Amino acid sequence: MLPQPPRLIVKTLAVTFVTAVLLLVVTFVVVIVIVREQVRASVAANLESSQRMFAAIESRERRELQAQAATVAESPTLKAALDTYAAESRFGNEVVREQLLNTMTRELDKVAARVEADAIVVVDHDQTALAAAGPLADRWPPGRRVASVEASKISDAFDGVVHIENRTFSVVSVPLLLGDGTSIGALYLATSLDRRYAQKLAELARTHTVIVSNGLVVASTLSHDTERQVESLVSTLSTGAGAIELNGESHAFRRLVQVGDTGFYALASIDESARGATTAIMRTLVWIAIGAMSFALLGSIWLANLLSEPIGRLSSSLKAMARSRDFDARVPLTGSSRELDALTETFNRLMASVSAAEAQTEAAYTGAIRALAAALDARDPYTAGHSERVSVLSIGIGRALNLPADDLEVLRLGALLHDIGKIGVPDDVLRKPSALTAAEYDAIKQHPVLGARILRPIPFLSRHIPIVELHHERPDGRGYPHGLHGEDIPLPARIVHVADAYDAMTSARAYRKALPASEAFRELWRCAGTQFHAEIVGALTTALSGVPAATGAPILEAVSA
Amino acid sequence: MHGALSVAALTLAVAVAVPAGQGGESASISGHVKLTRTRGTPLPSNIYQPRAVGNRSAELPPEIKSVVVYLAGVTFRGALPVSHPAIRQEHEEFMPRVVAITRGSTVDFPNADMIFHNVFSLSGAATFDLGRFPKGQSRSATFTKAGLVKVYCHLHSHMSASILVLDHPYFAIPDLDGSFTLPTVPRGTYKVVGWHERVGERSAIVEVQAGRSASVELVLPVEDSR
Repeated sequence: MLPQPPRLIVKTLAVTFVTAVLLLVVTFVVVIVIVREQVRASVAANLESSQRMFAAIESRERRELQAQAATVAESPTLKAALDTYAAESRFGNEVVREQLLNTMTRELDKVAARVEADAIVVVDHDQTALAAAGPLADRWPPGRRVASVEASKISDAFDGVVHIENRTFSVVSVPLLLGDGTSIGALYLATSLDRRYAQKLAELARTHTVIVSNGLVVASTLSHDTERQVESLVSTLSTGAGAIELNGESHAFRRLVQVGDTGFYALASIDESARGATTAIMRTLVWIAIGAMSFALLGSIWLANLLSEPIGRLSSSLKAMARSRDFDARVPLTGSSRELDALTETFNRLMASVSAAEAQTEAAYTGAIRALAAALDARDPYTAGHSERVSVLSIGIGRALNLPADDLEVLRLGALLHDIGKIGVPDDVLRKPSALTAAEYDAIKQHPVLGARILRPIPFLSRHIPIVELHHERPDGRGYPHGLHGEDIPLPARIVHVADAYDAMTSARAYRKALPASEAFRELWRCAGTQFHAEIVGALTTALSGVPAATGAPILEAVSA
Repeated sequence: MHGALSVAALTLAVAVAVPAGQGGESASISGHVKLTRTRGTPLPSNIYQPRAVGNRSAELPPEIKSVVVYLAGVTFRGALPVSHPAIRQEHEEFMPRVVAITRGSTVDFPNADMIFHNVFSLSGAATFDLGRFPKGQSRSATFTKAGLVKVYCHLHSHMSASILVLDHPYFAIPDLDGSFTLPTVPRGTYKVVGWHERVGERSAIVEVQAGRSASVELVLPVEDSR
């Protein structure tokens, strides 16, 4: 009974869900791409402003340092000690030189606390460190020659960068001059480019910062592993600005400044910046998805119901009709949709024409059979109209027994045809006025079976055949052709049996006159229980009660009424 | 810087000439010092030029006056003659910048400026601080130990002077044209040194024969004084 293909609801659900999911996914992807693009642009803009800010701040800080350095460089003691130290190399002794170095160191110590530098260093005209003070003074051991101070070429933010003792310093330097512009050395204010410095930078730029020198990360705010990754991407960094992949995340970078071999970079994770926005979008989309899915669910259920409920109703009414073979019933309009109503109406129209055709066919059959029965009755003047009368009487009995209309219809036609088998009984036997021989009586007794055989090929007469075949059976089992007993005999056959007998008795025959109704009833009641079923005889009595005791048409009219 | 300086050639031409009308056991050494201009590399520094102090209108003394020619490794017997030169403080400069004296000599430091000056030294040969004094006053210092004494002013850090204190009188500061003549020395072989306070020194070996004055040509590189 259940249909094999998936139910309509499943299909509508699948279609709406797939559509909703597709829409959401596309929306998500598009929005994420747009957001990432915007975040990338804003990160780049941030880095650019960081660069400007860095340049401004660093420039100011450098100027301050240079001012401090210039002031310190005017110290007469420092200059005298340095210049004398140089002179003593030729004319003096080591003790004096040692004292002079101490003098310089003391001079530097005095100012170191007031100078914002990690080391304050005096170098001679040969760039050899002589004296140093400050927290990182130990990185500038006396006698150590400073390889080079790379002068800044891009901006004046830095004087230079010095690599010494595994440290990298940014250095502001001022010359130590004597009267005629003779340079006797220089004073360095050195700032260590370490993690602390990178962090200070990072706080200003509000990004990660990396200081790269000679392809190596000197200092940064990144983890050690990430620094190694940066080192492998130095060639990309050297382009100045762009994006690199670190720890699987896209980072925008921008060079803040390049001093000699050392570059200062700001790094910002695009993914990290986009994460907040992405999460918010994701959350919103999840809610939208839940809403959309609910709508899709409800919508598709409603839509599917709109179709499947009336179709279900239609098909169940059709099923009921098919079961009851009631082709006259009409399927009610569902009113759910125009298309469905049109279908229902077409179907109803079709059923109407089918039942009309069926009625026509039945009428044609019935007419033919009626003609046949009439022709049969006409063979014997005494039995003329017998079949019609038995039919009317049978309906009367059926009504008295409160049979349904359907059964009455079967009874009417069955009674009309009950003697059709007599077609096969020869005329001389049938119309013989004298007593019949045993052989002749046997021939007569063949007519119910014969009738049944004649009618069997007609499908719509299947319910009438028992009437034809069994209308001579008796409750006591002495009837023919099968000798059925009592309740084994179908009700219509019993009715026709009694009606047949009554009509036979109240009709004239060649060998006797017609009996009056009362006489016939007496006879019927006498044989009730043996030859006839008592309740049928009773029903006949009820049907004919109040009807004037007469024969023929008046009785028929009374019964028909 | 040194590297750059070393490019400069030191030409040492020792010409021996017989001085006319001279004889005996001693002879004089004369010669010529030439300062060639060589380029030096300035220290990396891009901002803050030296502070311009005061009205330093005085012309800087010629560089040749910062050269001292002397004999090295000479012992002098007898009473060492002393001198009494002065180094003026004028226009915030020591004038002259270089002085050569014998041990025991005294140097005066008169102040010719309208401002206070100071004189001090951290050198091993003489460590002193003469204090501050105004215009018109003068302080002096006597140098009892041979060596190079660098003198500065505590008030003006750019001021400096060099006093070369020697154990013998065989020294001279060249004339403006670079020529010099050392006092007569006994016959022998000497090392003549040309010394400049910034450039360094160049030396030459000279053989002095009786009655013949020796001549020396010294070429010193000097920093390009821009």
